[in-house]
Formats: sequence, C-alpha cells, structure tokens
Amino acid sequence: MENKGFLFYLRIYRKILAQDIKSKMSYRADFIISTIGMVLTNVAGFISFWILFQNFSSINGWGYYEMLFLYGFSLVSITPVQCLFDNNWNLRILVREGDFIKYCFRPINLFFYFQSEIFDIKGLGQLAFGIGTIAYAWYRLALPVTVLAIVKLVVFLLSASLVMIALQNAAAATCFWLQNSFFILDFAFKLKDYSKYPITIFDPVFRFIFTFLLPIAFIAYYPSIVILRPDAIPLLSYLSPFVGIILFYLSYKFWMYGALKYDGTGS
Amino acid sequence: MNLKKYTSLLRAGIMESLNYRLSALVLFFGNLVYIAIIYYLWRAIYASSPTDVVGGMTFTDTLIYVVLASSLFSFMEMYFVWDIGRSVQSGKIALDLIKPMAYRDYVFWSCAGTLFTNFFSVFLPTFIVIEIVTKGAIDFGMNLVWFIPSVIMGVVINYNIDFFVGSICLYTESIWGINMMKQVIVLLFSGATIPLAFFPDKLQSIAYHLPFQSIYNTPLSILLMHSPSVSQVLPMILLQLFWCVALTLFTSLFWFISIRQVTVNGG
Repeated sequence: MENKGFLFYLRIYRKILAQDIKSKMSYRADFIISTIGMVLTNVAGFISFWILFQNFSSINGWGYYEMLFLYGFSLVSITPVQCLFDNNWNLRILVREGDFIKYCFRPINLFFYFQSEIFDIKGLGQLAFGIGTIAYAWYRLALPVTVLAIVKLVVFLLSASLVMIALQNAAAATCFWLQNSFFILDFAFKLKDYSKYPITIFDPVFRFIFTFLLPIAFIAYYPSIVILRPDAIPLLSYLSPFVGIILFYLSYKFWMYGALKYDGTGS
Repeated sequence: MNLKKYTSLLRAGIMESLNYRLSALVLFFGNLVYIAIIYYLWRAIYASSPTDVVGGMTFTDTLIYVVLASSLFSFMEMYFVWDIGRSVQSGKIALDLIKPMAYRDYVFWSCAGTLFTNFFSVFLPTFIVIEIVTKGAIDFGMNLVWFIPSVIMGVVINYNIDFFVGSICLYTESIWGINMMKQVIVLLFSGATIPLAFFPDKLQSIAYHLPFQSIYNTPLSILLMHSPSVSQVLPMILLQLFWCVALTLFTSLFWFISIRQVTVNGG
C-alpha cells in the first residue's frame, strides 16, 4: 500500500465489493439460505452455551453473564475474518488448480486484491448477534456505561479481530507449500471455538501455548478482562492491541512470501 | 452381484487419501490438541460443580463421550455434499450419472476409502489416547461388541442425511448454506457438541425423536455402558435399524424425483 495511497485502495475496494455483491445477489436463494444457515449456527451456539449453564452454574469462578460477555466478545471479534477474509478458504483450490496466477498480474497489492474479491455479507448477522450478546451481558453485569468504556471495547475488539485474521492468513498460506492444507485451515478455524473460555482453566503448559504459540487467548479472554475485571488486569491485556497488529503484520509477510514464490501449475 | 466395481472404488479412495500423508499427520496432532482442550474445559466445569455426577454422567463419562463424538464426526464426515454441489454446478454430474453404477453407490464407495483410512488415522488413535488418559474407563466387553454395528449404522444414517442434503442442492444450487444448516442441526441434536444427557427434558425428548441422535449418541451411550444386557441395548439398536431403513428408502425416492431437476448446459 506504500506507493498507491490509502484512498486509491479504498476506491478499488468499493468497486470490487459492488461486483461481488451483484454476483451474490444473482443467486438469491443461495444468499437467503446461507444467511439462515449463519443465523442458525449462532442460535445453536447459544443453545449449547445455555444448556451447559443449565447444568453448571459457573466455570472456574466465571459466572453466567461474564461467560456470556466472553462469548459475545469472541463472536464480534471473529466477524471481520468471516466478512473480509473469507477468500482464504478458496486459496488452496486456486493455488492447486493454477487460477491463482491471475492475481499475480495486477498492478496492485496482491494480498489486498485477493482478499477484497469476496465480502461475506452473512457475517453481519453474526456481528449483530454478538453485539446484542455483549450489550445484554453488559446490562446484566451492571457495568458502567461511559465513553471511555465504549472506546476501550471498540479498540480491544478491533485488535482482537486482527489476531484471528492473522491465524487464518497464516493457516491459509500453508497451501503454498502443502498440497492439502484444508485440515490446517479447518483446525485454525475450529480453535476460535475455544477462545470463548477463560484461559485460566488450562494448566500452565497450555496457557503458554494459547498465549504465545496459538494465541487464541487474545481473541476474547485478555481483551475482555479489561472491561470485565478492571481491578486485576494482567499486563498481557494491555499488550493485546499490539499483539494483534504485530501478528497481523507477520501473517501478511508470511502470506506474501508464499504467494511471491508461487510459480503456477504450468497450464 | 459384481463386487469388484465397489472394491476398486474403495481401493482408489484409500490410495488417494494415503497420498496426503502430511494432512493425516496434521489431523492427528490437531486431534491431540483438541483432546487436551476438551479435557481441561470439562475438568474446570466439573471442578466448579458441587456434585461429581451431573445429568447421570461423571467427568470421565463426559470426557469419553465428547472426545469420541468429535473423532466420530471427523471420521464419518465425508464432505461429499460439496462434491455433489460442485458436480451440479460444473456439469460433471452428467458423466457420473451415466456410469454403470447407481449414483448413490458411486458416491458412497468413492468416499468409503477416506472413511477407511480415517478410521485408522483418527478414530483408533483417539480411542487409544482416551483409554490411556481415563486409565481404562472403557470396558472391553459386550459394550464394545455392540458398539461396532452401532457405529456402522451411524455411518449409514449420516450418509443418508448427507445424501438428502446433496439432493436438495439440485434444487437450490446452494451448497454452503444448506451444508451449514445440516451440520448445525446434526451436531446439536446428535449430542456431538453437548451430551444429550445434559439437555433440559423438553429438548431432550425432541432430540430422541429425531434420527440425528442415532448417529453419535447411540453408539457412544452403548460404549459407556458397563457389561450391558441384550434387553438394554436392543431397543437402541432397533431404533437405529429403523432409521437406517426408513432414511435409505426416503432418500432413494427423493433422489429419484430430484434427479429430473438437473439441467446441464452442454459441456
């Protein structure tokens, strides 16, 4: 993005986005069914959460509404990866079948062009669901509503979402080296399901892994603590915005490194 | 009956999946991480509970149930709904339909190879790990004998549901959404996410009237029994058998009607 400027990319993004939405709308039934599918996924996720708390009143000292807050937080912070970076799922097929080469011939940033091609509107339902959950938990926990708190929430949500994006980018980029990287991508995607639990339930080894190696603790736990338990904020919570930015940058470099060494299939 | 055409498809499937040895390795290690997460999660949940037995299940029961449910899921999930959907969109289905074999059988036996290798690379290792972790909590008796036919029928039921969903794709040309809905409903009502024993009464009775619980809940409940008597197991097995027959008939009929929908434009 250095040489073309931010506005230039914004304009291109708008144009590509419009094309994508047009093409999605031409399969109207598919769009409607997919949206229902997405809503159903969130409802089912909530039902299993609810069933769990019908049997158990708290997990490791975290009550129902606190867990609900974590749940909503993780839903919102995984929305950007769902909406903006969904094309990662097609990467391995495009790479294997050789179609990826078309992205290499555009005079704009390769990563940007590839990711901007698909915008997944379905994710917006999840966003609404997540925001609703956070708001409800916020209300039931009687947390103070101040401008500072809202700003904190937004900043930490955004940086948390970068962590998930980074994980997904890195997992998708493995397909430049491996034939069938679906399982890696699927594994990274499933990890997010465990980001909604407090990291304290794990023993030190896994706490270390989920903080530093597969940093899912930064998707919901560390950033949420800033708002949920302001009396005892660990240092890592304050670091989480930087963690998000650094991880995103690293995953971008890794993705580009793979993409630039791609030499097509020869067909 | 000429079995050779089936066995050669099976062999081809096995060889194809053996080609992706690295992905089997990733699957295996991913599975280990998953078991660890599940272990700590449920340990924390049970530690916060005032009683050791919740909904008739101890921590060990729940651990075995949840872990094996997920490994049964990755062993049974054949992802062929995507293949059917793609064949419809690309027109390849026309070629599949003129093969000297019923399409149903063709799809099943093409996937059977993956099923076979998944059994050895996913289910068996998980089974052994969980048996070690729980210090031999699973009996080696009649429960294991009953478990085998029960799993096989689970595979058949799961296959039929997938095939039904694949048939719907002929109408909607939507793959992602339909598949998503299926997965959510199956995972929730089969007990794969949360054991059915934890469900509130009303939801539980709904789940028991649906075919999905026969996929995961029945085999796993049988496995968790200690030296079960025939009268205990037989009703469960018969119910599975009923669903096998009913769903096979229904999905065959539905496919027979739906296939007229297919239009392929040239090629």
